[in-house]
Amino acid sequence: MSLSLPLLSAVAVLGLLGIGLLGLLVTRNLIKVVVGMQVLVKGAMLALVLAGKLSGQIQTGQTLALTVIVADTIVSVVALAFAVQVRRQFGTLDLQALSTLRR
Amino acid sequence: MNPTLALTWLLVLPLVASPIIYLAGRINVRLGATAAPARWLSALTLAAAGIPLWYLGEAVLSGGPVDMGVGTISLRMDGVGLLLAGTVTVLTFLVSIFSIPYMAGEEGEEKYYALLVAMAGAMVGLGCANDLFNLWVWFEVMTVTSFLLVAFYRQQRGALEAGVKYLVQSAVGSALVLIGIAFVFAQTGTLNLQQVLAASTHSTPQMLAAGALFLIGFGVKTAMVPLHTWLPDAHSQAPSGISAMLSGVVIEAGLIAMLRALGCLAPVSSTWGAFILAFGALNMVVGNLMALRQTQVKRMFAYSSVSHMGYMLIGFGVAVGYGIANGAAGGFFHLFNHALMKGLAFMAAGALLYSLHVARGSHDSLTLDDLNGAANRYPITALALSVAVLALGGLPPLSGFMSKWQIFVAGFETRNAGVEALVIFAALNSVLSLAYYAPLVNRMYRHEPSPTVAAGHNVSFLMAAPLVVLTLAVIVLGFWPGLMDFITHPAAVHFVSIFSGGPALAQF
Repeated sequence: MSLSLPLLSAVAVLGLLGIGLLGLLVTRNLIKVVVGMQVLVKGAMLALVLAGKLSGQIQTGQTLALTVIVADTIVSVVALAFAVQVRRQFGTLDLQALSTLRR
Repeated sequence: MNPTLALTWLLVLPLVASPIIYLAGRINVRLGATAAPARWLSALTLAAAGIPLWYLGEAVLSGGPVDMGVGTISLRMDGVGLLLAGTVTVLTFLVSIFSIPYMAGEEGEEKYYALLVAMAGAMVGLGCANDLFNLWVWFEVMTVTSFLLVAFYRQQRGALEAGVKYLVQSAVGSALVLIGIAFVFAQTGTLNLQQVLAASTHSTPQMLAAGALFLIGFGVKTAMVPLHTWLPDAHSQAPSGISAMLSGVVIEAGLIAMLRALGCLAPVSSTWGAFILAFGALNMVVGNLMALRQTQVKRMFAYSSVSHMGYMLIGFGVAVGYGIANGAAGGFFHLFNHALMKGLAFMAAGALLYSLHVARGSHDSLTLDDLNGAANRYPITALALSVAVLALGGLPPLSGFMSKWQIFVAGFETRNAGVEALVIFAALNSVLSLAYYAPLVNRMYRHEPSPTVAAGHNVSFLMAAPLVVLTLAVIVLGFWPGLMDFITHPAAVHFVSIFSGGPALAQF
């Protein structure tokens, strides 16, 4: 069995999504959570490019991925800004500290 | 005004005004004054957005959807989009007036108004996106502006915590939606909603996966249980005007985005309706049971939003699964009513919170005990809050009863024992919800004033005015529910026409 490019990309998409979700589940550090989110969205971006390739519209797929990069950057910037504030107010980046609001 | 021009104005106005509002406020603050220009400019922008909305409304209601293309992006304003745009414009205008005294003197006040207007613009855009990816982009703009508004009090630990939870859950939801879009794109080679609907004639694993991803991804924003955990934190920690926006229109915009995305996959599976009904039942019971045990007023209202999403989901589920237009009409009517009722509830609670705590520099939350005897000192606010909670609980002469009733009637139109049982369950839930709404009214009118109330500040005119407007709207719509038929009916017919293309739901 030879590895074609789409198949390889599909494996990469699944890998990125898996790593991203696992990262979100197991880490307790806010910065690492942001990294996990980034990895997850990178998987989604690659999926869009792959979808463009599969449907024969490579340009559209890449355009979508570019737009997602912009949106994703904004979300990450906001998330990191929150992280800075959390470090200032709580003195830690541990997500366990962020559970004062109960029920 | 020609409809395309009106649509352009409606979309461009808030998004262009937002940076101007920020700059106007910022420059004035730098000059050593207050951020007053930002306050008035935001109210003015939203009032001005009413003009193109009026013309667009006439065009859509008389001549059907208005299409507009910008490059390869296609926008279509139909009945559903018009209802969302109208609800958003009205509520945001009232919130911006309410916020003038509420946010006066807060650090970063100009940012608040700029973000508020941008969020309203994004929701109007979301209503008329005619392309899956475009829908996602508007959705993301709305989400990012709401992150910043939820964590607006960035020195407050609670607000930060709520912001972080909200951000992480929303970001994961957005990524799932993107993967769903990739599935649809790979399968059909198009993202235009009508073309996807035409191309998705039979069910394939990819399209089913896409539908499931849309359901979960948008479900985070719609607060479908068990994806609702961000909601009580975000709604209770945000500034009160923003709580009203989040509860009144943002989660509903998420619902409309979800229904639009699922709508283009309607023929793929006949079980979307069953899923929506099941989530509706879960939302009602979890929302109500959790609301019962809350001691903070805003947190209680937040859980009540979860349960009200349940009623809307039941209405739409009946429409999706059984093709009953009345269900969608009830769902849309409840969506509009909920914006009014929950907007009123959060703003009235916000007025009390401001007078009792914020005006004295405290950021404590408003507890149920604080409300004791509030009616003596704050007759208008207490009346507004009572009308809001009684309408939410579904007491007959108020608007909440009318839309719930329409949804329940639609459920019985299905002639399906399962759905009828679900409707009875929903009605019982509605009664259960009175168990936490009624004591609230009792506290305000029958108890001795608490020391907090006795020491409270006055409610200013600008804060009371939106409360009076919304109270009147809730009462008027309760007596004449037909007033909204002109918009909910075309929206519902359009909605059902999308879904009825697919095979009817055989059994629940």
